[in-house]
Amino acid sequence: MSNNKIDILKIVESKLGSKVQIQPGYLSTGTIITQNGLHRDVLKAMIDAEEKTGITAITGLDLGENLGVYYHVHADKSFVTIKAEVPKTNPKIQTIIDLHPGAVFHELEVADLLGVQFEGHPISGHFVLSENWPDGVYPLRKDVKAAEVKLVPTPPSEEIKLPENERLVKIIIGPQHPALLEPEKFAVTVEGETVTKVEPRIGYVHRGIEKATESHTYLQDTYLVERICGICNAVHACVFVEAVEKIAKTEVPERAKYLRVIAIELNRLHSHLLTLGHAGLEIGYETLFQYFWRDREPIMDLIELTSGNRVYSSLMTVGGVRRDIRGTDIPKIKSVLKTLRGQLPFYRQIYENEPTLKLRMKNVGVLSREDALKLSVVGPVARASGVDIDVRKDEPHDAYGEIPFKEIVYTSGDTWGRMNVRMDEVEESINIIEYALDHLPSGPFRIPAPRSVPVGEAVARIEAPRGELFYYVRSNGTDKPDRVKVRTPTFANIPSFLKTAIGESIADVPANFVSLDPCFSCTDR
Amino acid sequence: MTDTKTWARVKSPWVLHFNSGACNGCDIEIVALLTPKYDVERFGVKLEPSPRHADVLLVTGCVTQQCAERLKRVYDQMPQPKFVVAIGACACSGGVFEGNYNVLGGVDKVIPVTAYIPGCPPRPEAILDGVVKLLNALNPPKPKKQPKQPETPKQEPAKLEAAVAHEAKPIIEEAK
Repeated sequence: MSNNKIDILKIVESKLGSKVQIQPGYLSTGTIITQNGLHRDVLKAMIDAEEKTGITAITGLDLGENLGVYYHVHADKSFVTIKAEVPKTNPKIQTIIDLHPGAVFHELEVADLLGVQFEGHPISGHFVLSENWPDGVYPLRKDVKAAEVKLVPTPPSEEIKLPENERLVKIIIGPQHPALLEPEKFAVTVEGETVTKVEPRIGYVHRGIEKATESHTYLQDTYLVERICGICNAVHACVFVEAVEKIAKTEVPERAKYLRVIAIELNRLHSHLLTLGHAGLEIGYETLFQYFWRDREPIMDLIELTSGNRVYSSLMTVGGVRRDIRGTDIPKIKSVLKTLRGQLPFYRQIYENEPTLKLRMKNVGVLSREDALKLSVVGPVARASGVDIDVRKDEPHDAYGEIPFKEIVYTSGDTWGRMNVRMDEVEESINIIEYALDHLPSGPFRIPAPRSVPVGEAVARIEAPRGELFYYVRSNGTDKPDRVKVRTPTFANIPSFLKTAIGESIADVPANFVSLDPCFSCTDR
Repeated sequence: MTDTKTWARVKSPWVLHFNSGACNGCDIEIVALLTPKYDVERFGVKLEPSPRHADVLLVTGCVTQQCAERLKRVYDQMPQPKFVVAIGACACSGGVFEGNYNVLGGVDKVIPVTAYIPGCPPRPEAILDGVVKLLNALNPPKPKKQPKQPETPKQEPAKLEAAVAHEAKPIIEEAK
């Protein structure tokens, strides 16, 4: 692993030499500081050198005179940050979507929230902000105060552009739609029954959490970022506190690392069971939905048993976890997991043999390995297309380095494959929790941490149920962060839906979409 | 005829779920209500996909700028009499997102709310309790059926006050 890490920086150094400044070991594998324009050359060198190179996130920052544009790039097991800056007076930077199409959404978001202009980007207009948001006001800039923003009147009516070709029909799905639990809009253009185009409009759940973190203390932020998502909440809190711990150089006790793993895996269990059931609902197989949700409830009870609450565990804190697991609870947890394990062959047999389910899922929404790499999808979506990306293996955090488990990879790339990755991961999660409970180290489960964090910046990544969750935290030495950037897995996975839906039947859209396990409260933040 | 209508409404309320910018916590708990452990369908509660068929609107979330207009539109499409239940701390007041630039904070900033169910998120039992209290408020006991207890009708108004917000009183009267 370490050989690989050195390689990518050396390749960049050999190609670009003294034109860029390389800081090995800073922000994960290393940081490359570039002047305007050279970020493209660095990225190109990385893509040429390693096929599993993709954009994890683009962070925009207000640095006073300048705006920072940080490209966080993962290349197999390495993680590199390419830093570029543009002046606020002329915030123009060249786009990278011709090099890596997966960056489309990332650039749109930075353009909308910070006003960086990406030259050569084909799409303009609001991406996450509402239609009545005034032009020229960028909420993540430091001089913008939330209370002072004057909204403009909403444009009279949303202009629905009718397709020029009369054979095409435009179907609007959302924002309020029975198949969507969350308000999002997809304008699907169909010819007959075949989808020819999908235009998304996200941002209905945009609550401005990244801005809100800057006016709260680190302690408050732990609970605020947890509320980005009601499903994978423990993961959000965990990755935030790990980023803060990296800046503050806090060493977490061994027992806390195992307790964090248990909390994350319980999250994964209930999230996967939820999705496996939800997929049944979307194809009209409601019985399967009810079965999965019946078996999900005992897991919710376990979360309540270990954390005190059904949904928001509020378990993570800087320096460890807030609650220990009682020794008397361990047999209870194990017995629930044993029951769930006993149910799995039944579900697996349904997913493998049930003809209706196979008809609706096999060869539906096929995402090839090449496209998966180009769009830099993450999590079960990538693993179903044969891309073995899993942060738990690539950059082990907490106790994952010590716990043996299998990385589930399927090669079919279809909806069926994506659901089966989750099905197998349920079993792996049970194994991980059981192993963690058996090998729980003794000792303290938290250490006191200071309220203020020294000046610095850090990146942290964790494998959430839906894929890699990424946080960038920048501290200015006070008790409040200067910038918190969140890149959620669904944000990375949505471009793949826009690709796979085309050419398929409109009836397959819901099942294909749910197989991404979309979570828009994460996506919009 | 009014009695029959009230009976039908109380025994089989059709609910519509609208997410106005929630984190999924409350939404998943609402869906959990429909599944075997809680199973609200045994009380006649049915999740209805169309606003035009719904009696009760369950709103979650802190009402973002984008959702405010859509929420109002969905509310306007519902037939009279209609009831709105705000589920979760965000829907009640904005919760932790109060004061953010894209958040209005509270469903009652946009549409009148009949009942508030606080919690982050409220447990499924709490949501069920809130809906049952709302239905009790629709179907107050008739005075002539309790002639021997003239001093104890306080019980129902007390329940009503617990669940029903003061803003919503006109709607309740309309239902009677």
